[in-house]
Amino acid sequence: MRPAILIVALALLLAGGGASGLFPQANVPPCPSEVERPDAAALIKRIDQLLTGRSTVGVMTMSIKTPSWSRSLKLRIWAQGKDYALVRVLEGGPRETGMTTLKREKQLWNWLPQAGRVMKLPSGMLGDSWMGSDFTNDDLLRGNSLTDDFSTSIARIEKVDGHDAWRLGLVPKPTAVVVWGRIEMLVDRASCLPLGQQFFDEDGTLAREMSFSDFRQIGWRRFPARMTLVPAEKGRQTTIVYSEIQFDVDIPADTFSLQRLRQGR
Amino acid sequence: MLLKLAWRNVWRNTRRTVISVAALALGVTAVVSIHSFQEVAYQAMIRGITTGLVGDVQVHGRGYQQSPEMGNVVPDAAAVEARLKRALPVAQTERRVLGAGLAGAGDASSAVMVMGIEPRKPGAHALLTIEKGHGLDPAPSHEVVLGDSLARDLGVAPGGEMILVGQAADGSLANDRYTVVGTADAGTYEANATMVFLHIADAQSFFALGDGVHQVIVRLPTDEEDLSHPLSILRGAIDLSALEIVPWTDILPELKSVIDAKRRNTQILDFIVFLIVALGILNTMTMSTFERTREFGVMASLGTRRRRVLAMVLLEALLQGFIGFAIGTGLAWALSHAVGSVDLGGFVGGADMVGTRLPAVLTLSLNASAIARAGIVTVLTMLAGALVPAVRASRLRPVEATRYV
Repeated sequence: MRPAILIVALALLLAGGGASGLFPQANVPPCPSEVERPDAAALIKRIDQLLTGRSTVGVMTMSIKTPSWSRSLKLRIWAQGKDYALVRVLEGGPRETGMTTLKREKQLWNWLPQAGRVMKLPSGMLGDSWMGSDFTNDDLLRGNSLTDDFSTSIARIEKVDGHDAWRLGLVPKPTAVVVWGRIEMLVDRASCLPLGQQFFDEDGTLAREMSFSDFRQIGWRRFPARMTLVPAEKGRQTTIVYSEIQFDVDIPADTFSLQRLRQGR
Repeated sequence: MLLKLAWRNVWRNTRRTVISVAALALGVTAVVSIHSFQEVAYQAMIRGITTGLVGDVQVHGRGYQQSPEMGNVVPDAAAVEARLKRALPVAQTERRVLGAGLAGAGDASSAVMVMGIEPRKPGAHALLTIEKGHGLDPAPSHEVVLGDSLARDLGVAPGGEMILVGQAADGSLANDRYTVVGTADAGTYEANATMVFLHIADAQSFFALGDGVHQVIVRLPTDEEDLSHPLSILRGAIDLSALEIVPWTDILPELKSVIDAKRRNTQILDFIVFLIVALGILNTMTMSTFERTREFGVMASLGTRRRRVLAMVLLEALLQGFIGFAIGTGLAWALSHAVGSVDLGGFVGGADMVGTRLPAVLTLSLNASAIARAGIVTVLTMLAGALVPAVRASRLRPVEATRYV
């Protein structure tokens, strides 16, 4: 499976989403709860603004479950705009602690603590798992393209836990380079918060499913602190839980330098 | 008496006999040589596989052959090896660890297959022909040997450093740095482009396997392709609820089936060769009995039994068959000695066959079963070719036959 687009959760890691960072709370349109069928594109854009900032700094625990093993890693992330991100393993296996992934524009480098070296990820490995999780390197690399690459429409209103939710259908635009056949997204009608996302491949079979929960107030944002990704492969699951997150903070410029990565700091 | 008569009859028309014997001899030479050469090539390929990469038989964790998962290991390889050897003392064993990874050197990187080997075992020598540098140290010392084209791709030479990344059995991200000590010809184009060899203990710690290994390779001192007997002995020695034991023919079923298919093709060729020879014999014997119609008539009127006439004519054919077979086998032997060995040289590069490769030089030798089969087929061919004329000769009526001029 070679996933193509950045799922909303990972927008966090990567995208300050240049544009959205320029929109403080005042610029985010109110949630159109009273409208039966609001403008779907505007709804997606609103979610983008909610989940991403000019920059993001946070600490999260990533738990990976597979049929043969389960483990969890504590990660610290820094993200600046769409093009720069850094993820460092704070706590993991003895050989992984300190491992750092740097994203600079369209390239990924890893600092390998045991080897004491930096390795650039070859483009052939983009579809492979990142740190053994159900996220791929590609998920880290791609910019947020839900708004640009998909035509969005509201399919219907559903009841989720007794609340109304919109089910959005996202179909790739003809010009977009995307492997998904389509994406469905569930958005809570009262709060306009995303509840879940389903990714279908080109044959229309469900390839992976993402769910958002544990919403917390961070500044003006209501932010899902827990995100769970379940791939089609049986018995696997990756969960991310944020213990700290800050938006729109100033990050020292050299954080994303290759030189600094090479020093393993 | 009958034999003597037959022998004399054979040489009554020397030229004709020489021609038909020569045809048969050439047929036998062709068939024996082709079979022998093929068998030499097949055995070389099979030996390459069994002494190198695969072994005759492998013991895995149960289900590994079906889906090779990193965490599916033979936990106590030493105990398993001891039990196998107790059951079959001639067996030689060797441990292997296999995994996928990403190798990097400088800015270059490449997806690789990682194989942990026991450098001191003979299998390691059969597997690798060191081209530059040297082989792995017998003790684990963070060294790697690379397939030569992989080393070229990574731009690394002996003495250089290589980084390896992969996923360990516990899911953690394995990463380490190794010294490249050698580059090797690992047998096939694909292996040369993807294989990274390291000491099995280094591989076990890289993949977090503890003492576990993925394969216990068993080598048997036999060229037999049918391993069902040793397999049944070895099967009794291990715990089949946790382990599986698989012969090379199941590990590389393509190789076995390609060889079997080629053998069948050659058998069709044999059939055609001997069919031509049989038609030649039919012709010769028809002529020879036809010429002797009067003689058979005289024999019959003197009271020679039909059966004896029949036997005599068949015997004549068989005698020619023996001579032809002997000469043909002799020629094939002479041919294989004259040629001695075939240097496949540049041809080898293209001769990768289902994960194996012919050695550069094949030493020819005659294959006993090919000779035996040619012998049996010769006898049948001669009998088949001579049967009709022999029956006809034996059924001649004395009165008519003696009048025949």
